[in-house]
Amino acid sequence: MGQNGAGKTTTIKLLSGLSSPTQGQIFVEGLDMASESEKIKELLGLVPQDSGFYAERTALSHMLYYGRLKGLNKKASRKQAQLLLSRVGLATERLKKVGSFSHGMKTRLGIAQALLNEPKILILDEPTNGLDPLGARQIRQILKECGNKGITIFLSSHKLLEVQESCTHIGILDKGKLVAESTIEKLRHLEAGGLITVGVYNLSSEIISLIEAQKFVIKTELKARDLLEISVNSRKDVKPEINRLIVECGGRVFKLMENSLSLEEAYFEATGLKQ
Amino acid sequence: MNFLEIRTILEDELFQSSKSRYSWFFGGIFIFLSLIAIKYGTKIYTLYSFFFLKFEGVPYSLISYLLVLALGPFFVLIIAFDSISSEIETGSIRYIISKVQRSSFILGKGVSLFLGFTIVLSGIAFICLIYQYFADNAIQFEKIFFFWLGSLFYLGSFISIFLFISTLSANNKISFVMSLVFLGILIYFYLQGGESLLKYLSPYSYGIDNLKILKESQIKTEFTGFFKNLFFLFLYTLSFLSLSLFAMKRRDL
Repeated sequence: MGQNGAGKTTTIKLLSGLSSPTQGQIFVEGLDMASESEKIKELLGLVPQDSGFYAERTALSHMLYYGRLKGLNKKASRKQAQLLLSRVGLATERLKKVGSFSHGMKTRLGIAQALLNEPKILILDEPTNGLDPLGARQIRQILKECGNKGITIFLSSHKLLEVQESCTHIGILDKGKLVAESTIEKLRHLEAGGLITVGVYNLSSEIISLIEAQKFVIKTELKARDLLEISVNSRKDVKPEINRLIVECGGRVFKLMENSLSLEEAYFEATGLKQ
Repeated sequence: MNFLEIRTILEDELFQSSKSRYSWFFGGIFIFLSLIAIKYGTKIYTLYSFFFLKFEGVPYSLISYLLVLALGPFFVLIIAFDSISSEIETGSIRYIISKVQRSSFILGKGVSLFLGFTIVLSGIAFICLIYQYFADNAIQFEKIFFFWLGSLFYLGSFISIFLFISTLSANNKISFVMSLVFLGILIYFYLQGGESLLKYLSPYSYGIDNLKILKESQIKTEFTGFFKNLFFLFLYTLSFLSLSLFAMKRRDL
């Protein structure tokens, strides 16, 4: 995820061998891009941002050609082409020239060709860019099915809603740097600054002192008679530990929650765009 | 380099690609022009017989070779100038390079162009043979073979030049203009003539020098010179093909 010009497309180009790094190393599934790029290409399926298909050729012709380039023989290539075109909903349009396809159909064809020879990782560069809501939904649905089949999906986007719906892990790029990387949930919590709100029926000063004595606690603030806000500095989930301490001191916890931001807020926090 | 990848790209370029139709059309025009040249070459031969003084019978292979020398580079330009640049311009190259090695892509494109022109030149050579047969000329296989081989190496050097220029450009128009300008430079180099070193930088120099073997009745006297010229044309081809591979490897797609 990142703004325009953050480096999303560059990252994808580097990963798929369309660009070479000027410095640093790239590893995909433990394979070094510099020395084992051909093995990496076998693992990847790429859907680039601007679909550049041959306008005069049919969808099936594209699939057969790309299948052969992926190392499939003619028979296997034809079989997979038919199967994948059906999967992306282009079975009836397989003999139509791609020049007459809509943007959404081209994106679906892009996904179909990327799935040839069963890649382990599917890389997509802003797949729903320029699509209408229905087209975008179709693409998300196809990606979901791919994910259910065990394919790792690596996509770039600047659409927060799409990321929130489709992704489990997220990395935020800002000016070419990875400024945050985590699961969506963790990211929302991390960017919230590690704030935990705890509600205790019989909140005593002993309980507050005990909590403040913990290493991971930065400060506490009494928000109400029975509501304490704790600022923590830990990447681990410390809620069970806080719960245990309170119970040991005789307190009764009725609320224990980690504050989190919306993905949008987390994104602005991570990129420093909040201001 | 992967031979299966090269073969797949080659087959697609020759028979499936959207441009293959036009390429075969231009190839057909080239063969047709040679047919016309051979047909009316007899008249030219009679009018300018001093030029073909040492030739026994009608010089069909020489007439065809003159046509290849004059028009061949332009036909190569028309067919090869956008072979890579169009893929870059439309973005279709990304789908290909994400699957195959860059060297396979360049070699597949290059070999398909060589093979295409080999077929066209074989067609012209076959027409020469037919004409020799029906004109009751003594069939001179050697001359036709030298025409075929000399033309192939000569056009091969131009294929590699235009392939290289196409690799450098991400725009068809720029590629076309660059190819045309480069062709002009090569003609200029050749026109320097005499002992100018620039002359030897142009494939025209070696191609035109090979006319000798088709003019002479005693082939053996020009044998060494012919193969020396082929060697230089081969070096030319190899150099530009290597430059294309190098440029492609460094290219940001």
